[in-house]
Amino acid sequence: MSETAATATTAVTEAGETEPTVVVDEVSKHYTVGGQVTALDEVTLTLPRGSYTAIMGPSGSGKSSLLNLIGGLDTPSAGHVAVDGKPISTASENERAAIRGTDIGFVFQTFNLMPRLTAVENVALPLVFDSWSRADRIDRAVERLEAVGLGDRTDHVPNELSGGQRQRVAIARALAPDPALILADEPTGNVDTDTGATVLDIFDELHAAGNTILLVTHERHVAERADRIVHITDGEIGSIEATGEA
Amino acid sequence: MDGREGLRIAVRSVRAHKLRSALTVVGIVIGIASVITFATFGASVQAEIIGDIGDSNAGNIYVFGTPSDDEGFDRVLQPVFTDTDLAAISEIDGVTAALPRGSIQVSSIRAGNQTLARSQVTATTPESITAGSTVAGRSFTSGDREVVVNERLATGFRENLTTGSTLTLLYPDGEERPVTVTGIVNGTRGELPVSNFARQPRLYAPVDPFYAAVVESPSAGVRQRAYPQITVVSDPRQTAETREAIETYLADDADARQLSASDTELVARSGSDFIDEISDVIERITRFVTGIGVISLVVGAIGIANVMLVSVTERTREIGIMKAVGARNRDIMSIFVIEAALLGTLGSLLGVPLGLLVGRGAAAYADVTFALAPDWIALAVGVGVVVGIVAGLYPAWRAARIDPIDALRHE
Repeated sequence: MSETAATATTAVTEAGETEPTVVVDEVSKHYTVGGQVTALDEVTLTLPRGSYTAIMGPSGSGKSSLLNLIGGLDTPSAGHVAVDGKPISTASENERAAIRGTDIGFVFQTFNLMPRLTAVENVALPLVFDSWSRADRIDRAVERLEAVGLGDRTDHVPNELSGGQRQRVAIARALAPDPALILADEPTGNVDTDTGATVLDIFDELHAAGNTILLVTHERHVAERADRIVHITDGEIGSIEATGEA
Repeated sequence: MDGREGLRIAVRSVRAHKLRSALTVVGIVIGIASVITFATFGASVQAEIIGDIGDSNAGNIYVFGTPSDDEGFDRVLQPVFTDTDLAAISEIDGVTAALPRGSIQVSSIRAGNQTLARSQVTATTPESITAGSTVAGRSFTSGDREVVVNERLATGFRENLTTGSTLTLLYPDGEERPVTVTGIVNGTRGELPVSNFARQPRLYAPVDPFYAAVVESPSAGVRQRAYPQITVVSDPRQTAETREAIETYLADDADARQLSASDTELVARSGSDFIDEISDVIERITRFVTGIGVISLVVGAIGIANVMLVSVTERTREIGIMKAVGARNRDIMSIFVIEAALLGTLGSLLGVPLGLLVGRGAAAYADVTFALAPDWIALAVGVGVVVGIVAGLYPAWRAARIDPIDALRHE
């Protein structure tokens, strides 16, 4: 963990305290499914550097759409999104891929590990597409796996790991490129309560080390781990609630 | 992403589906193997025949009748070339020897108490047997009951024939004629290269007294022996001119012209014509087999494309994961193209040795020396790789276009 802390803090100092990690500016997203569906309606949201934000909302509220836009997996119908100062909403497909690979770390509910790759290869995967040398990739991946307590599981494939271990591999992968932002989509949704608690403890540690985290959940107790909770209903931000810890 | 990593991913994917991959490359294997088989077999036959002709038959001109619509070496085996024709051709400038060739109808040959059927018995003159092709003994003498046998016949009996052995020729009408073997040869200079290639047991006997086909010569007005074929040995430096002179004679003055049916063309073909002819036949067959090979490769390519499409669907989620962690469209594309190219390469790497093996078997069966065709092997491997890449392009393009959000939701 100490490694991550050092690098993340450096980034903050260099970029200046004033520039937020994520700026979402009047973003709308419409889909055409039969008729036109508005998933997000002029949403504006800022994630300051080093902040820990939870997004809550019922299913179909637009929280996944917001996550996809911030993560650069999708582009808005209107408005702008910037991550670490980079205008991800207007970037080309290739540029967005590069930003996803270097500036954003995804943690998914279903882990989304490559089934035929070992833990260390899974963690190193983002670095493959960022043209790191094999030796450097492996070094970094082993480091990250050790940081999440899986230093002894580097050569296991996902099948040979428990749910909690798989989610920790996924977190290690998200951390591999030293991203400006960690995006977590229901990270405790597919693990039991105890394991979920361990996963959330890791996020707490990452937050403490200076990382910026955005977490989507529908569970209140999970959301309460964050500094603040953004409630989304019908594609609009209903309220922003500061938790006691903030 | 560097190519090595792409290859590593491809190898892993192919190894994860060993049976599927093996079945996928069967089309490529068959395509490449059939092309290689015929390329090597054709090269072997060609090398053998050119070797045969080059050795001792460079100045040979083969005179025979052929159906007028035929460009090649199809022969009409009617005895039309009379002794008068033979004498006239011998007189043509540049002709060293004119050797008549006729076949004698013998039902079988007996040595001791063993009988051998189906031997080719050829009537010719003593000059057909040259020192260069004689293994043992000497040529027969005209007018004597002497014969020469080829090695295949000499070793065809329980006890090998040697010079001085006595044989009995059995005729269809029941007549038996004892003969003495005076020599053993591995070919004669009167033979068409193609008959040498067949390597049947053969026996050669003097025209006098063994050859019986007789017709009335229109020019001489008397009954004479007549032969279906004459081999002219010419001075190799003026074979072309000699050949022209022979053809002029055949067209204008020959008895054979009057004795032949009107749709029979009398021709004089040289060894180089023969090489051209054989090369042409081999080239035509090669083209045909290559055509089959190409069809097989197309089927193989469709097979690869099909499996790659299935693979893309199966790995939709993996594609989504890779895109989420920074893979660009061209990274995804190259992963699948490399995998398809790997399948094509595997197919050709299996097809080449298989083709060589079958080609070698065919060469052994046809009794020709096996010759490699290195250009074809290099080409085949190249084609395999290219076929794989082409087959992989569309599936890879589909893979690259997959939307990461949909892909991550894909079960």
